[in-house]
Amino acid sequence: MAEEGFELVSEEELKEEICRVMKALYQRGLVSALGGNVSARVPGSKEFWITPSGVFKGAVEPDDLVKLDLEGNVVDGFLRPSIEWPMHAAIYKVRPDVNAVVHAHNPFTLGLALAGYTLKPISVEAVMVLRRVEVVPFAFPGTDELAKLIEKYAATGARALILQNHGIVAMGANLVEAEAVAETLEEVAIAQYVALSLGKEPPTIPERDVELYMKLYKIQ
Amino acid sequence: MPEWFGYIGRILYVDLTHEKFEVRELDEKDVDMFVGGIVLATKIIAEEMDPRVDPFSPDNVLVFMTGPLTGTIVPCTGRYVVAAKSPLTLGWGEAHASGFWAVELKKAGFDGIVVKGRASNPVYLWIHDGEVEIRDASKLLGLTLPETELKIKEELGKDVRVAAIGPAGEKLVRYAAIANDITPDGPRVAGRTGMGAVMGSKNLKAIAVKGSGQIKIKDAKRVRSVLKRILPLVLSYPTTQIHAVYGTPGEIEEFYEYGDMPIKNFSLGEWDGIKNITAKRFKELGIVKEHRACWACPIHCWKYAEAGGAKGRAPEYETIAALGSLLMIDDPFYIEKANHLCNLYGMDTISAGVTIAWAIECFERGLITKEDTGGLELRWGDPDLALKLIEMIGKREGFGKLLGEGCMRASQVIGRGTERYCMHVKGLEMPMHDPRAFKGMGLQYATSNRGACHLQGLVFRIEQGQRVHDLRIYERPDRFDYKGKGRIVATMQLWHEVVESMVICKFIDIPPAHLAGLYSMVTGRRRNVQQLLQVGKRIFTLKRVFNVANGVRRKDDTLPERFLKEPLKEGGAKGQVVELEPMLKEYYEFMGWDEDGVPKKEVFQELGILELAKKLYPELG
Repeated sequence: MAEEGFELVSEEELKEEICRVMKALYQRGLVSALGGNVSARVPGSKEFWITPSGVFKGAVEPDDLVKLDLEGNVVDGFLRPSIEWPMHAAIYKVRPDVNAVVHAHNPFTLGLALAGYTLKPISVEAVMVLRRVEVVPFAFPGTDELAKLIEKYAATGARALILQNHGIVAMGANLVEAEAVAETLEEVAIAQYVALSLGKEPPTIPERDVELYMKLYKIQ
Repeated sequence: MPEWFGYIGRILYVDLTHEKFEVRELDEKDVDMFVGGIVLATKIIAEEMDPRVDPFSPDNVLVFMTGPLTGTIVPCTGRYVVAAKSPLTLGWGEAHASGFWAVELKKAGFDGIVVKGRASNPVYLWIHDGEVEIRDASKLLGLTLPETELKIKEELGKDVRVAAIGPAGEKLVRYAAIANDITPDGPRVAGRTGMGAVMGSKNLKAIAVKGSGQIKIKDAKRVRSVLKRILPLVLSYPTTQIHAVYGTPGEIEEFYEYGDMPIKNFSLGEWDGIKNITAKRFKELGIVKEHRACWACPIHCWKYAEAGGAKGRAPEYETIAALGSLLMIDDPFYIEKANHLCNLYGMDTISAGVTIAWAIECFERGLITKEDTGGLELRWGDPDLALKLIEMIGKREGFGKLLGEGCMRASQVIGRGTERYCMHVKGLEMPMHDPRAFKGMGLQYATSNRGACHLQGLVFRIEQGQRVHDLRIYERPDRFDYKGKGRIVATMQLWHEVVESMVICKFIDIPPAHLAGLYSMVTGRRRNVQQLLQVGKRIFTLKRVFNVANGVRRKDDTLPERFLKEPLKEGGAKGQVVELEPMLKEYYEFMGWDEDGVPKKEVFQELGILELAKKLYPELG
């Protein structure tokens, strides 16, 4: 925790929020019973709380979470941390603006990527929430090889990564933002898919508006 | 005095020479540094004995040790370890077994038993609710394992748990085993390195235990809740499911495909007989009847068999290979009978099979003659001969007397170049995984402290493609490649010290980080994977020093020439030999050993065991 100042969210509240997000992802069908993981940086520190590996994700409780340092050493908690912890740690190392990371298996987002489609600015949310989406080539889940790739793509400033043959990573300044990124990816993918399946290339919002948003949100 | 959770907090020291007992409180500092199980046993041996003693002398110290998870609700924790100087390797000896005996020992009030000295007459120990008696065992002499257990139960009651030796242990067969939970459907066997012979040398026939105590758990509610949620995934691992249905023999076809299952003393890569000795075949023939389980085991890998009047534990994979394919015998009824015989006499089926295979190959090559064998003609594929030899070993009669010495010592006695066909490392006969099929296994065998050991590391699982994220083993190395194997083998060996310190079965694949958490919740002593790995390194290094004190150096970290120079001409590992030297170099660097295989002084300092190591090996300075 930061040494001084107003503590907006306690660690206990942070842990509860991680569990809420994890359960919401499960309920929305963005992760399966054992899939996906969510983490949040302890404000002002080099540590983060992450969901455990190998337990049912629809009922994760705060006591199940594990606190790690950026090298993966267990600081607190009893369960096995998500095997994807190297990926989360890699993001926190290169992105000081990111305080929460969500990894889910968004089926439509992944399906479009597998079919070779890129997400388009079909809505204001697609531009404002997602901002920049990168596609990361396949590396086996939980490996340091994947973590290195993620580090490279996260360093571009992207808010969302689509992991080929795997899933998505959503980043945010806080948990709600990361959750919103993960959900928006899927919303946009579904909308784009519906249009495509009805035989129409979906129109995008005017380029001028996109540029304006980009400028407004200082997106390179 | 601390309140103990997981641990009982007391160790029983028995001096058989003077018929004295002493109960020592468990030291919190020891627990912090050495956790329990094999790790604590090693520390006690390092303190209590000179590693250079004759293993059959009263000065050898035999330690039975449970772990902090033994007998708890954590699954597959009915285990104990037993350690002493090995009469087979003249170096570090240890073996492990499951069942229920270890749980009963804790309920009877002890984490472990340290046995010193030698009784003047055959005795057995009776430990019940903190009380200890040395009882006369003269009536038990010569009895087989089941007979021994039944006789003790007649004396003490049918609900006592017994660990015992059979005739092989009494007669100092150098690979005699200690067995427990023998009747009606066992035994469970601590088979390797001749711990049964050490027990026999002490005139100690058995240890009977009974207790009504409880093993306290710091946060039982949470342990239960966590287990409930992690077990569904743990139990879904393919190997676990195969073990549940068929036991270890369920992997025979796969191991054969890899060229891993040895045939004809590791000289052939293909053999038609394999199809007749698969787990399915044992089931179809009605030999394997039912599933059995040890303490708190959801897997039930232990199978019960009945055939030809023999009843008891069905042969495991290692036994089917050692007494079957290794000898070119594909008759399942014979294998069941041979397994049963070994279990009556109480001896390691692996060492028995490898020693017999050595004799047959040497006979075939004309290096051993009928003059050596007492007129017996040795040949491959002869079940009657194999059964006869097993009996002769168990009774130490005729040629069996020599075979009971183990293949290394027997080949040294015979000479004439027979050493070349003896498949052992440091005197311990090779297990049934050919290192030419999994090269990391070659390094594991060459460096394991008890000699050719397949269990301390199980590196073939990594070479089959398993990742161990918690140990940062992410790569899936090609099984034939040797690069990068040094770190993987060393890491797995260190982790397996931790597994044997808990003590938990290797067949329940609880990931390391979950295991660290369970240990923390059971004992109230928080440990993470990295800290536990350090404990593993502490003890692996100490065992190495025990061996160094007995002359073990780099020259001994090797494999039989067959694996280094003779590629198989057929099968799944065709054309392969083990490139040991580059792997050893990488391994030594990782472990912090010098070029001759002696751990460097700074490693002992880092691990906080310099004084203990100097006690074992004063030359460390």
